[in-house]
Amino acid sequence: MIPDAALGLPGGVDPGSHVRRALAGRRTRAGEPAYMALRWAGAGLFGALVIALLVSIAGGSGQALVHSGIGFLWSATWNPAAGQYGAGILVVGTLLTTAVAMVIVVPIGLGTAAFLSELAPSWLAAPLSTLIGLLAAVPSIVVGLWGLIVLTPIFANQVEPFLASMPVLGWLFRGEAYGPSILLASVVLAVMTLPTMVALSRTALAAVPVADREAALALGATRWQAVRRAVIPAARSGIQAAVTLAVGRAMGESIAVAMVIGNRPAIPASLTAPGATLGSAIVNQFAEASPGIGTSSVIALGFVLLILTVAVNAGGQALLRRGHGTAVSTAGALR
Amino acid sequence: MSAVLAPRRRELIRAAAERSLTRRRLTGRIAQGLCAVAAVAAVAPLVTLLYYTISRGAGALSWGFLVNAPTPPTISGGGISTAIVGSAEIVGLALVLAIPTSLLAALFLFERSGRLAAALRFSADVLTGVPSIIIGISAYTLLVLPLRQFGNLAAAFALAVLMLPIMIRADEEAMRTIALDLWEAGIALGARRGRVARSVVLRGALPDLVTGNLLAIARAVGETAPLLFTLATPLAAMTLLIYTDGTQAFPVAQQTAWGTALVLLGFVLLLSVAAKIAAWRISQRAR
Repeated sequence: MIPDAALGLPGGVDPGSHVRRALAGRRTRAGEPAYMALRWAGAGLFGALVIALLVSIAGGSGQALVHSGIGFLWSATWNPAAGQYGAGILVVGTLLTTAVAMVIVVPIGLGTAAFLSELAPSWLAAPLSTLIGLLAAVPSIVVGLWGLIVLTPIFANQVEPFLASMPVLGWLFRGEAYGPSILLASVVLAVMTLPTMVALSRTALAAVPVADREAALALGATRWQAVRRAVIPAARSGIQAAVTLAVGRAMGESIAVAMVIGNRPAIPASLTAPGATLGSAIVNQFAEASPGIGTSSVIALGFVLLILTVAVNAGGQALLRRGHGTAVSTAGALR
Repeated sequence: MSAVLAPRRRELIRAAAERSLTRRRLTGRIAQGLCAVAAVAAVAPLVTLLYYTISRGAGALSWGFLVNAPTPPTISGGGISTAIVGSAEIVGLALVLAIPTSLLAALFLFERSGRLAAALRFSADVLTGVPSIIIGISAYTLLVLPLRQFGNLAAAFALAVLMLPIMIRADEEAMRTIALDLWEAGIALGARRGRVARSVVLRGALPDLVTGNLLAIARAVGETAPLLFTLATPLAAMTLLIYTDGTQAFPVAQQTAWGTALVLLGFVLLLSVAAKIAAWRISQRAR
């Protein structure tokens, strides 16, 4: 078993590093320069691509930011015909759909993770987690198609009228039931972020030492109390990371959202009204954007989205690394 | 405090403890039930999604659907061959770009520790979370605008950038779990570093490398957003075809969309299952 630190995770000292540093100091021999150059080329190309990505997005949005000024970030009007461009409404739409998706996915995802990791017998947990892993593999366009063709009529005819008829909460869902809406987009996002949420929180729960559970049980806790009072608190930073990375994924999803949100860049009257997000607006506006300022404004929407998602993901990565023992690379946990 | 509790007090304490236990057990039952309900709610969308994709897609599926070129909606007998070939070409080209680059970059991260390696590792982790649509926009500004041409090259570039961070991190992890000690042993024996990388690290980590790369490919095959900005026609890739046909109101177009979705889903699940099998064989061998 290799300690976490050897996996390159910060917070510890790589035990082999001094050996490696000593070895790295050896004089290179014939044939080495070629290999070293190749290795550097691979790393350099990747670094250059990362920089090119940032520069191209920032550069591409320059014209729009000059045209609209810094007010682009919060200006509420997106009206290309009048030459008015602002990301405000779309930022609100992105945050709103993401928030509603999290309200749905956090309890379901955490409950599922607790069920799979702590409560279910292994003959049930194994096939269930395979199934949820499959959901992670389903392309977002297929989830979008399912949302558009299967869920839209169900939402328009049953779900949205039912929600609107509820006593107090109905206020959130008032108005005409169209089908395509903020709510439907959030549900689709919840489905898409569920595997992330389940896989990462499950890893975090499983990393809590067995002794913690045994200690709680020995003190007289029931099985659920052990989970609730000992395991979940110990896995907290891992669970926070799971939520953060799910938020990042939900904010960045574009194509499936564009298919079900109704694409109306205006302040939504309720959750059942159509809306728009940064991602959905990029998908819809790009093709019809006028060359120059129009295209640049769409790229600027991407720039805003990039900043939002990078901030959220960097936070998620930091949380992942902070939780000792629960630290895993995202690539590994999302399998 | 007296050594022996009065029988009456003992009775009271026992009753209180039993009440507490009953209450805690009941709470536990309810909470465990809710967790089971959550698990069912988590699996339900996948089941209905698979059901609809298979039942609606199967209606569209035929040999002709796979091998015929698309036709206008009024002419029957059209297929999606251009989209299948297009997707394969784009992903193939992306792999030619991404696999060597990611392997070399992963070797770099594997062999070096220090600030530069940490910075690259962090960029890879953050880039994994960058929305694919932004990578599409970037490919558009970097390639499509200067070359004044949409096409497979720009699309492949976008998918390569998308896959690179996933592959780099998966590769590095594979190398570390399999070959860290062996690498040190190889260097200590005096072998050249390039030789150790080839014969020890890459060979030792091969099954893990395959698993990680297959999963990255599965993700790239299903991407739509980057292609939106880099391809001129929706007929050039499966995911774009699903998007344009699925958002039309005509039943024929929707059937094509479901059929294409089924083919795509089949491809992606096949890749995931292949990756699972590779991972399973590793765990078998490790015993």
